[in-house]
Amino acid sequence: MKIEQKIILSNTINVALIVLIGIFAFQNLNNVLAKLRFMEIADELNASFLEMRLSEKNYFLYKDLSALDDIQEMIASTSVKINAVRADITRVIGETDLGLLEDHLANYAASVGEIQKARVTGPEAAAQLRAKGKKLKEFSETITRMEQKRVNDIITGSKKVLAYSFFAVLFLAGVVSHFISQKILRSLRKIENLARSISQGNFHRIEDIRPTDETGTLIDAVNTMSEELSHREEQLVQSKKLASLGILTAGVAHELTNPLNNISMIAQTYAEVYDQLGKEQRIEFMNKVDAETERIREIVKNLLDFAKPQKADLRPADINETVQTAIKFLQNMIDISNVELSQSMAEGLPPVFIDRHQIQQVLVNLITNAVQAMTQGGFLFVGTRYRREAGIVEITIKDSGKGIPPEYVPHIFDPFFSTKGDGGTGLGLSVSYGIIKNHHGDIRVESKVGVGTTFTMELPLYQGKEQTDEQTV
Amino acid sequence: MSRPYRIMIIDDEKIVGDMAKLSLEKDGYEVETFLNAAPALERLKAEQFDIVVTDYKMRGIDGMEVLNTVKRLYPQIKVIMITAFANLDTAIEALRGDVHDFFPKPVKIKELKASIRKALTGAA
Repeated sequence: MKIEQKIILSNTINVALIVLIGIFAFQNLNNVLAKLRFMEIADELNASFLEMRLSEKNYFLYKDLSALDDIQEMIASTSVKINAVRADITRVIGETDLGLLEDHLANYAASVGEIQKARVTGPEAAAQLRAKGKKLKEFSETITRMEQKRVNDIITGSKKVLAYSFFAVLFLAGVVSHFISQKILRSLRKIENLARSISQGNFHRIEDIRPTDETGTLIDAVNTMSEELSHREEQLVQSKKLASLGILTAGVAHELTNPLNNISMIAQTYAEVYDQLGKEQRIEFMNKVDAETERIREIVKNLLDFAKPQKADLRPADINETVQTAIKFLQNMIDISNVELSQSMAEGLPPVFIDRHQIQQVLVNLITNAVQAMTQGGFLFVGTRYRREAGIVEITIKDSGKGIPPEYVPHIFDPFFSTKGDGGTGLGLSVSYGIIKNHHGDIRVESKVGVGTTFTMELPLYQGKEQTDEQTV
Repeated sequence: MSRPYRIMIIDDEKIVGDMAKLSLEKDGYEVETFLNAAPALERLKAEQFDIVVTDYKMRGIDGMEVLNTVKRLYPQIKVIMITAFANLDTAIEALRGDVHDFFPKPVKIKELKASIRKALTGAA
């Protein structure tokens, strides 16, 4: 059900409840009014009955015969009165009680009649008449009291019902709005989480059962947005790849052009000067062609190595040992380049899970770059560090070389991107990056022109399980 | 009889100089080859050359700098540029620097020679 419908429904229920309470209160008021009307009548009747009893006394005390006539007259007028308001009375006390009252009145009238006829004034007749008169009065008074009590009951009851209904309406409104707002908030929280995750680059969806209300529509919209963003991101990555491919093909073209030109020039010259060449010289020409094709073969091989998935033979290894091996390879180059090497190898490092040869290759690339960046000599720092909280080992290679201009930094891991002019293939860092990523590690660079460059490598620890899964770059 | 025309070739690819020298000497030119621009420019101070053929992209002093220096100091020398990085930008840059001709690698030696002849007869 939609939230809008839920709100309408809950409001309708509340309104219906209030209308019911209103009808109930109205009915009660009507009841009370009827009973009050009856009470007025009853008061009048009671007054009449009291007067009858007074006349009764007059008769017995003063033997006044006219008193009996008065009583009969009063009885007749009372009967007329009762008939006039019969409907009002019946409504309140019912046919039965009215019948009883009328019976009492008739009995009383009959007794008075008998006394008139016989003109008895003895104490027996008096007692009989008194008893009937008393009964009539008492019955009437009892009914009146009962009705008074009922009026009280109705008012008390109404008060209670009104109080309860007030709380019921309040409770219902409270519960329903709480329920609806909770539901909306829950959906909003999901959307909020999704939005946060999207902003961090994770294009998830809200997959659990989709509510059929407005928040469902919103979740649909956010899901669509997430998919769209994910799609765009893929396109972006694709276009970046194409850009890399552009650099790559341009690099290959340039790399290949020089040996191709050399072969071409050798062939052209050979044809031109063939006559003047001795056997030795001709062989020398062909050897040159061969050397140039070898150069081309080397470029192609590098390119294939770069493009072809490289098997990584992951084993637990001591990173300090790997670093030392790499430094040993390069010691001579470091020495002749007037570079001062300082090292800080952390002790007791946990083993890392690496292909030693590949990581050595990366270290050789990075250290070579560092040394080449210090054309005037300088300071080279190589260090290892255990970062327990991240569960990694960190290797830092820092030089005091010329630094990388900020505009080049985003490209240094691109294939065939080189700042070394003809001296570099632009593949070293690109291949290194691929190797580190394949180790589920990370490689970062910080550089300041004129101050130096720091490469930081992160490698995951050996987790203990004997996994030698061969991964591909 | 005037002296033979002197041609200087600057390219960090040794084979380019070697082959061009062989081929051009056969046509009667005097040829000197250099792998770097700096000694080549030094040589220009001592010796008179008619043509300088230079590579565009070289370590240290590059082809554009060679062109500009030669045109500034020895405006009568014609400069021919060859490059593996042939694109419109480098070509325009070279033309603005008053290059005589511009050849993308791989170079056709016959075309290079024709261009040299044209430069020399134009100058004559």
